[in-house]
Amino acid sequence: MLHDFIVQFWPSTTDGLALGSIYALIALGYTMVYGVLRLINFAHSEIFMIGTFASLGVINLMGISTPLGGIALVGTLALLIVVSGTVSGASAVALEYIAYRPLRRKGASRLAALISAIGASLFLQQLFARILIPWWFGLPKEKGALPIQGRFVQREDLLTLGSFVIRSDKLIILVAAVVMMVVLDQFVVRTKLGRGIRATAQDPETAVLMGVNIDRIVSATFAIGGAMAGVAAALYMLRFEETNYFVGFLLGIKAFTAAVLGGIGNLRGALVGGLALGLIEMYGASIFGTQWQNVVAFVVLVLVLMFRPTGILGESLQKARA
Amino acid sequence: MLLEINDIHVHYGKIAALKGVSVEVDEGEIVTLIGANGAGKTTILKTISGLRPLSTGRILFDGRDISSMPGHKRVLAGIGQAPEGRGIFPGMTVTDNLLMGAYARKGDFSKDLQEAFDLFPRLAERKDQMGGTMSGGEQQMLAIGRALMAKPKVLLLDEPSMGLAPMLVQQIFSIIEEINRRGTTVLLVEQNANQALRLAHRAYVLETGSIVKSAPARELLDDPQVRAAYLGAGATD
Ligand SMILES: Nc1ncnc2c1ncn2[C@@H]1O[C@H](COP(=O)(O)OP(=O)(O)OP(=O)(O)O)[C@@H](O)[C@H]1O
Ligand SMILES: [Mg+2]
Repeated sequence: MLHDFIVQFWPSTTDGLALGSIYALIALGYTMVYGVLRLINFAHSEIFMIGTFASLGVINLMGISTPLGGIALVGTLALLIVVSGTVSGASAVALEYIAYRPLRRKGASRLAALISAIGASLFLQQLFARILIPWWFGLPKEKGALPIQGRFVQREDLLTLGSFVIRSDKLIILVAAVVMMVVLDQFVVRTKLGRGIRATAQDPETAVLMGVNIDRIVSATFAIGGAMAGVAAALYMLRFEETNYFVGFLLGIKAFTAAVLGGIGNLRGALVGGLALGLIEMYGASIFGTQWQNVVAFVVLVLVLMFRPTGILGESLQKARA
Repeated sequence: MLLEINDIHVHYGKIAALKGVSVEVDEGEIVTLIGANGAGKTTILKTISGLRPLSTGRILFDGRDISSMPGHKRVLAGIGQAPEGRGIFPGMTVTDNLLMGAYARKGDFSKDLQEAFDLFPRLAERKDQMGGTMSGGEQQMLAIGRALMAKPKVLLLDEPSMGLAPMLVQQIFSIIEEINRRGTTVLLVEQNANQALRLAHRAYVLETGSIVKSAPARELLDDPQVRAAYLGAGATD
């Protein structure tokens, strides 16, 4: 066991960081919405799923015949990020408008919003499995649940130092995720809209007294969180090159775990929690075997909730500097 | 009349908190609203700012009916408030808190920031400190300075002296006077009736959701009922 861990240390580390980057980007959406509305947006995993299909659509439309490498790959990825980010961001705004805003207007309980979230999540999954996927890919209705591939990446080793190998796709994923996180963090700290989001998270009633339009802040929060899930979806497609209607489920729960691990409501916590969870999973898999990967992840969730419910960074969007 | 509250009723669920309240505030005045705990003073200010909907009645501001205007738009219309409990954003710096005050406005606020810092030098010394770590008195200064950043026509103040040492109460009251002298109309809610009645031009007394007296503030200082109920037996002129 320990031997496996040592032998696989570097591959596990790079795999863990790449996976953790994707968790972190999805976790942002959970954390931001929770910060502003105190709502766990269970349908966020489907916002991610929609993003993977947006990327898949672009890959299909481009009709890529030979796998891409180098500049062509980076350019394509940039396009996927923009398209998936836009589609997921817009979907998240629409989701809030349809599934949450009417409840908020009526002053419904948080439990009602949670049930609406779960309903929206199941609705979107079934909409894709039974209608959209069969229609789009010309499949019989009962095949809508099968994974759909979109190959476009040429796998190449970028850097080799002894057993330390970084594959270009994993490096790109890590760099893209960290860059997006830094940009978002600076946006929330420095811009007026970012100040409005923080103020609403800390004290919505006083925010109104400052002239903040809460509805607009909520829409912006869903747009940003959704767009980050879309970026994650593009990176996921780069890494795995296939998706299905159910792809968001496990990733969503993992990303939620990452958000709790880092401290829910805390933007920087999402990055820390995501990367930590990715690494823990991959190290755990190298020690206990890959079939234990998910068990390790959820044991972590339970332990965090038991011993440090406020997460690693603890302070939330309500109190944090960012 | 700059602000005209016309026979408003406000409910929390089925319970009536305001039962037909009318209050008028003229441009340039300081008007104070006194009353016991739970009388409905905060509810009046929240309703003026659009945080609570009114069941019946109307609110006119600057000649316009704003009864159904959303809260955030009332700030731009010219209604600023430093709420009860101060409402400081705990995780934002003093500067960011002040900038939030100017959220509804467009343009460059460095001059307004400077004015706030001139009015409250203590805030300038602590401009990078988190709002939540400021002392109660400092938070009150920040709340008032922040409300002024919106350049309101009328400033609503909800118990600005709450929890402050006597020295600081004096200071806050003289700043309110100064703000009024510079041209801002003030509607002041206070438990500290003695001080408030000395500062204000006119006053209203609120009891369980209804106005029971309205008069020039000086007159109420000498009113035996008001003295007994709100100024305490030992109050002297
Ligand atoms: N959110 C609420 N839900 C239910 N009842 C409320 C709510 N807020 C206030 N009330 C009730 O409305 C009445 C008026 O409250 P309000 O806060 O306006 O009083 P106040 O005059 O500001 O009192 P204080 O001097 O203690 O601040 C009280 O009886 C209070 O219990
Ligand atoms: Mg009150």
